Amino acid sequence: MSRPFPYTYISCPCANTPVPDPSKKRRSRESPQKSNPDQPKPLVPIDDEDEAFDPRSPRANFSLYPPEQLLYCEDCHQIKCPRCITEEIVCWYCPNCLFETPSSMVRSEGNRCARNCFNCPSCTAPLSVSTLENVVVGGTSQQGPWVLSCGYCMWSTLDIGIKFDKPTNIRTQLSKLTEATPVRSRQMSRTFGELKSPLSTYSSIDEHFPPPGETNTKPEDSPEQPTIPLNSDARFNALKNFYKTQISATSSSPTDPLGMDFGAGFSSPGALNRIMSLYTSSSRLSSLYGGANKKPKTRPPVMREALTASEGLKIPAPDAEEALIQRIAGPDCGWDGLASLEQRSFQSPDARFVEDLLPLPVLLRTKRSKRCKSCKHILVKPELKPQSTRFRIRLIALSYIPLPTLRPLNPGPHAAAVLPTPAGSTAPTTSTSTTLTNLDALSPLRPIQLLLTLKNHMFDPVRVTLATPSVTPGRVASKVTILCPQFDIGANSDVWDEALQGAAAATPAPGTATATATATTTPSTDPRGSRSGGLGVYEKVAEAGKVWDKGRNWTTVVLEVVPGTLPGGVRPSKTKKYPVHDNEPDTTTTNTNKNNNNNKKKAHNASDSDNDDDEDDNDSDSSADLPALDWTGQADDPGQKLQPDEDVLEIPVFVHMEWDSENQIDNEQAVGRSSGDTVKRELAYWMVLGVGRIVQ
Amino acid sequence: MPPKAPKGEYIETDTGNKISRRSQIHGTQHIILGGKTVIQSDAVIRGDLYRSPTSTSTSTTSSSSTSTTNPSANPTHPQPAPSVAITIGRYSYISRQAILRPPSRLHRGVYSFYPLKIGDHVFVGERAVVEAATVGNHVHIGKEAVIGSMAILKDFAYVLDGAVVAPGMVVPSWCVVGGAPARIVGEVGEGVVGR
Repeated sequence: MSRPFPYTYISCPCANTPVPDPSKKRRSRESPQKSNPDQPKPLVPIDDEDEAFDPRSPRANFSLYPPEQLLYCEDCHQIKCPRCITEEIVCWYCPNCLFETPSSMVRSEGNRCARNCFNCPSCTAPLSVSTLENVVVGGTSQQGPWVLSCGYCMWSTLDIGIKFDKPTNIRTQLSKLTEATPVRSRQMSRTFGELKSPLSTYSSIDEHFPPPGETNTKPEDSPEQPTIPLNSDARFNALKNFYKTQISATSSSPTDPLGMDFGAGFSSPGALNRIMSLYTSSSRLSSLYGGANKKPKTRPPVMREALTASEGLKIPAPDAEEALIQRIAGPDCGWDGLASLEQRSFQSPDARFVEDLLPLPVLLRTKRSKRCKSCKHILVKPELKPQSTRFRIRLIALSYIPLPTLRPLNPGPHAAAVLPTPAGSTAPTTSTSTTLTNLDALSPLRPIQLLLTLKNHMFDPVRVTLATPSVTPGRVASKVTILCPQFDIGANSDVWDEALQGAAAATPAPGTATATATATTTPSTDPRGSRSGGLGVYEKVAEAGKVWDKGRNWTTVVLEVVPGTLPGGVRPSKTKKYPVHDNEPDTTTTNTNKNNNNNKKKAHNASDSDNDDDEDDNDSDSSADLPALDWTGQADDPGQKLQPDEDVLEIPVFVHMEWDSENQIDNEQAVGRSSGDTVKRELAYWMVLGVGRIVQ
Repeated sequence: MPPKAPKGEYIETDTGNKISRRSQIHGTQHIILGGKTVIQSDAVIRGDLYRSPTSTSTSTTSSSSTSTTNPSANPTHPQPAPSVAITIGRYSYISRQAILRPPSRLHRGVYSFYPLKIGDHVFVGERAVVEAATVGNHVHIGKEAVIGSMAILKDFAYVLDGAVVAPGMVVPSWCVVGGAPARIVGEVGEGVVGR
């Protein structure tokens, strides 16, 4: 998941735990925490501490998370990412009508909403129930038959010839309408009268046709209307029943208690023995390679396939495919009449044409509670009601680790980037050094300064040490200097306390004094609060060893970054003609909507094409330079190749934080101590600051 | 062009709303701002598209509203308490060139507008078009997103940039929607409100 620049990711240490032996892994994860939960070991293993975290390493993909996705286990004293937790479903609900579906009904309704919620089979937008006729007679309006219609692509059930008599219980009406289509529906379809999820039949077995002519129970279907005697759901159930009986019949131990269910029949001990005997017999040393003297000891009874239509066999008409092709080639089908693969993937396997598409009942969603994988403590427990957004338990990482936010420090008099820029400024301007830093187009070797704000959410002051490799790993080596790597962050406090104490509690930071003194609640609690200090902040000059700015529970330090040069060589003509593509990303609040939110590849491609366009526009002679920076990866010289996203400037920063916390009651060490005792805690992790993209 | 805004770009109301002088707000008497809300320049807020008042007799309602597809065209009935077209909560942020328009729908042969309610801490990105019926609290609407008529965005919903939320769609809480037509593509992490 990529985000617009600048972004900050935090690395969950779970990616560094060795994986080869699962039992060992479990031990190494659990034992140190269980033995001394009071002494959290550094999250990064000791041997890894020497080498810098590489945000480009393949493993980093699995450990980097935006801070708001991380949880914190108070027992393990560790950050927990979505990979270190287990989830339990609290409730199922329909995302459209937001009604809860009881867990007993979820399976029988095929994980889909049983009410009036449908998605358009053509474009997946939600369908709405609307009336066809609307005759206002006198005071009362006469409402006619009802249809499901899509407000996005204008599809409606009229396209497939379905109308409903009443606007409620659409799903049962629809299932009745679709059930009526089969010519000879037998008792099977009555038992499975409800429309099941079309998904449940998708992986059907009708690819396994027995040779035609073997049976003569073939249904007589009209060639152009390839309807089947059982519809696909009923056929699926018939087949399921058939295989169930087959398994129970051929099972070596008929009294197998697990043989009742379909899946368990295969995993029964008998079946396992059968499989294992295949290997044990051939693993003898004498017969390593040959099945020569491998004799099947007991030949397992053979399961037969379905033979009749009542067992779920479907034999298409011999000219069924021909008819399909005829219909596809026909003039009234065309490209628009064919269902796309994407549409068909949610429909019954027989749906080939747009007319076959049925409205899709909305898939249910779940609310889930989350547990720590290693200590099984609950980390997140939402309230049961689907509509509620509250949590009973929510241990999130941001209440323990400081929230990092990054923004460029724009030098010069025009630094009021935080103020809304007028619309006209989107016009291409030559980016001189005095104007704003465009994070999507950082020029190499031009130093930029960034403001890194860490905001503490704990009620204890924190001492933070930042460390970063002086040169970022990878081929594009950018120099990074943290001007003040060690600093304190004040404790978080209750906003109301603050407001009641008035301006006295506010930290007298020069830039923010106005903001905090007015006791406006948001700016003082906001890490971006310093921008309310106005222009005064920006007239400062970054000094080594000093924090840039400081608030009640946040501290800002300056990073100095010299972006490295890309390996693709130098394109001399193109250094300063880059138009500012977009508005300057100014602060973290507003730039989320300003930059491309797409994945990095997309942004990469977009910027690629932009660059080329600019080039064509600006320099007519530069087309010869184009191959110098080869984006397609087809250059002869591998050194010329720029790997995807290699031009993204990401800075790994090691964060080490120390604080004195009050002893928690639930700690076993706390027994016998007074509650006022403080315990020194520390936490260390890597985070990655995504600064921007370097361009040539 | 220097990006610095000229002095006095924003009007600040008594409740702390900051409204750009260059925003286009129509029908101010039908708009309620909760306070501390920022409306940037060139944002369009159509308070004039309010629901035509349902008066006592139904016959006049049907006749009057069928005749006026655009109620702003006939300000013939100056109501003492004008109906509210758009409500915006506190600490919300309407970016530049965003368009807020009350939802409309044809109901029983009558085309009428419905109020648009926007909650607190809502961010509306640049050039977004919002016609939702309800936008909950802490909702993020990305830039150039389109929220179709009568859509409902529940609390903490997150609409990605450029998404087209189909008319009448309901986005549940904590869900991230994107694409055209918008589908649920993910969930917002739990930690998002801890700040």
